[in-house]
Amino acid sequence: MDFELSDDIKEAVVKAKEFANKYFTEEVAEKSDFNEEFPTEIVAISKKEKVLDFSNPWKVLVTIEELVRRDPGLGISVTISAFGAEIFMFFGNDAQKEKYMNPVFAGKRTLGLGVTEAGGGSDVAGIKCEARLDGDSYVLNGGKMFISNGQIADHFLVLARTSPPPSPEKKHKGLSVFVVDSKSPGFAINKLHGKLGVRATNTAELIFDNVRVPKEDMVGEEGKGFYYIMTFFNISRIYVAAQGLGIAHGALDRLLEYSKKYAPVSETGELSENLQLAIAEIATRVEATRNITYKAASYLFKFTPNPIVTSMAKFYAAESAVFATKRAIELMSLHGLTSDLERFFRDAKILDIWEGTTEVEKLIITRMMLKEGGA
Amino acid sequence: MEEEYEILENTVKDFNAKYVENNSLKFENESMGKEFVKLLADQGFFSMMGQSGEGAADVKTLSVVLENLAKSVPAVAVKTLLANSFLSLVNDPKITEAVANGSKSGTVTFSDLLVGPGQNGSLLLSDGKIKGEKQFVFGSDSDFIVTLLDTGELVLLKSGFTAGKKLKRLGFRSIGFSAVSVNSSDYDVLSKEGRKVLEKLYDQLSIPVAAISLGMSEAVSQKGLDYAKVRTAFGHYLKDFQPLAFELTSLIAEMEILKRYFEGLISTSPSRKEAMFLKHKALALAKDISKTSLQIHGGYGYLEDFGIEKFYRDSMALSVLFHNEEHEMEDLSTLVFETKAGFV
Repeated sequence: MDFELSDDIKEAVVKAKEFANKYFTEEVAEKSDFNEEFPTEIVAISKKEKVLDFSNPWKVLVTIEELVRRDPGLGISVTISAFGAEIFMFFGNDAQKEKYMNPVFAGKRTLGLGVTEAGGGSDVAGIKCEARLDGDSYVLNGGKMFISNGQIADHFLVLARTSPPPSPEKKHKGLSVFVVDSKSPGFAINKLHGKLGVRATNTAELIFDNVRVPKEDMVGEEGKGFYYIMTFFNISRIYVAAQGLGIAHGALDRLLEYSKKYAPVSETGELSENLQLAIAEIATRVEATRNITYKAASYLFKFTPNPIVTSMAKFYAAESAVFATKRAIELMSLHGLTSDLERFFRDAKILDIWEGTTEVEKLIITRMMLKEGGA
Repeated sequence: MEEEYEILENTVKDFNAKYVENNSLKFENESMGKEFVKLLADQGFFSMMGQSGEGAADVKTLSVVLENLAKSVPAVAVKTLLANSFLSLVNDPKITEAVANGSKSGTVTFSDLLVGPGQNGSLLLSDGKIKGEKQFVFGSDSDFIVTLLDTGELVLLKSGFTAGKKLKRLGFRSIGFSAVSVNSSDYDVLSKEGRKVLEKLYDQLSIPVAAISLGMSEAVSQKGLDYAKVRTAFGHYLKDFQPLAFELTSLIAEMEILKRYFEGLISTSPSRKEAMFLKHKALALAKDISKTSLQIHGGYGYLEDFGIEKFYRDSMALSVLFHNEEHEMEDLSTLVFETKAGFV
C-alpha cells in the first residue's frame, strides 16, 4: 500500500497551485462572489493552459482539490465545464462522443447536466420532465432547477420521463437521457440569483417548452436513464468530495496562518490548548477526508466503483468542509470574519446538498452495506 | 412571561408585520434607509437600555424587543442593539436626542475586546487631536462613534472620521463594517478608564445578544417546521423522515429550554455567570438550528428568497461580532470553577 502520489500527479498539483496563485487573486474572487459573476476569462485561460488534464482522472481529482483550496467559487467554476461528460463516456455512442464529449474535454465546449427539478432534489426518480416521441424526434416539456453552467453550457444532458413507471414503486423505470442544444427553440434559461455561496458558479433554472430533440440525441437505451445518472453520481460524488477536501484544507491553511500571525501565545510561546486541539481536529479531518476520497477514487479509476465508499467520502468531505470553515471562523474571530474564510464558510454548505444530500448519502451507505455486506 | 413583556412582544410583532417583513431582503443586504430607522426610533426601541454608567442597565425590555425584531431581520435587531449601546454611554443631550429619535446614528466599537493588542489599529490623542485608524468598526457608517484610544480613554468621536473600504460581509450587510480613519478635534472623553467601561457594557450585552440569537433560532426553526410539513420527497413529507424530524426536534427542545431560562433571567436580576451561560448556549444554538433548517430546505435554503441563508450567515456573524470564544470561555470557566481556570 503506497500513500505517495506519483510524480506526474504531483506535477498536476504544482500546476494547479501555480495557476491558482496566478489567477485566483482575492480581487477576482471577491468580485465574482459579490457580483455573482462567472469567471469567464479565467475559465478560458484554464482551458488554454490545459489545467485540467482529462487523460488522467487522478490529475483531475487533485486539481479540483488544489484549486478549491485556494478559492471554492473560482475553483469549481474552472473545473466544472465538463460536468456530466462521463455519461457520454460510458453510455454514449461513437457519434455522440465525437460530437459532444470530445469538444468538452478539449475545452472547446461547456456541458451541463439537467436532473434536479423544482419539486424534487434528492428524489431523482420522481422527476416530472417528459419526453414524448413525435416522428423523428422527442418533444421535451418541463423544467430543471439548480443547474450548474445553466447559462453558459452549449449542451445539456437532460433526464426526462419517456414512459410511465410500471408501478409507483418502480418510478426509476421509464426515464431516459437526452442531449439538448442550449439554442433549441422552446428552451429558456433563468439565472438563479442570491445564492449563499459558490456565487462565481453559474446556476440556472431550465425550461423546456416543446423542445424538439432528434432521436439520435438520446444517450444509451430508452428507459435506462436513472441507472446512467446514478452511475454518474458515483463518479461526480468523488469530485464533490475533492471539493470538500479543498475547502476544509483551505480553512486549515487560514487557521494555521492566523495562529502564527495573530493568535495569543503564552509566556512560553505556546498557543492556547483550545486552539491547538481545534487545529489538530481540523487537520485530522482533512487527512481522513483525503484518505477516504482517494480510496473511493482508487476503486472508481480502476473501473470497480464502490458506491459505499463513494458516499462515505462525499458526506464526510461535505461535513468536514462545513465543520472546518465554521470552527476556523469562530477561532479567528474578526480576522476570520473579514478574510476570504467567510466566503469558504458560505461556499462549504452547498456540499451538504448537491449531488445527493448528506442524509441521502448516509442512507445509501447503510442500505448497501445491509444488502452487500460491507465496504 | 410577564404581561408587560407579552404586550411588548405583540408590539414588535405588529411592527415587523407592518414595516419589516416586506422589506427583509433590502434591510438585510442594502440599507434600512433613514425613514425606517426613524420608525424604529419612534417606537422607543433605541433608548431602552438606560445609562450603563448609572449601575445595571435595563436590558430586560430591550432583550424582549431584540428577540422579536431578530425574528424578521436580524440586522434590524443588531442596529437597535448598537444604538442602545451607544446611548448607554453618551450623555450629550443634543447627541442622545438625535440618536434616540433616529435622525443620527451612533455605534460603539467592541473590537478592542475581541482581537489582541495591536491588531485593531491605533488611535492616539496628541495636541488636542485624535489621530489614527481603528480597524473592524461595526457600524462604521454611523454619525458618531464611541471607541477606545490606545491610552485607555473611551472617547466619543463627533466628527473628523471617515469609513474606509467596506470589509467582507458575512452578515448584517446593511450595517457599515470597515476600518475608520480619524483626524478629529471634535470629540469628548467619556471615561479615563475606558476599557473597564467598555467591558462592563459588553457584559451587559450578554442577555441582549442571547435574545437576538434566540429570536433567530425561533424564526429559522419555524421556517424549517413549516417547510417540512409541505415539502415532499420519495412520496413522504419531509417531516416524516427521522433524520430531519429528530434533528430539528432536538434543537427545538434545546431552544425551548433556553427560552424558559431566558424568560426566567429577565424576570430577575441575573448574575454575570447566568447571563454568560445563556449567551454561550444561545449563540451556538442559532448556528446549529440555522444549519439544520437550511439543510431541510435543500437547494432552496441556499437561495436568499427563502429567507434561510441570512440566518445561517447572521448567526455566525453575531457570534464573532459580539463574542470571542476563548476570552469568554476563560471568563466563564473562572466563574464556574470559582477560581481562575481555563487559561493554559
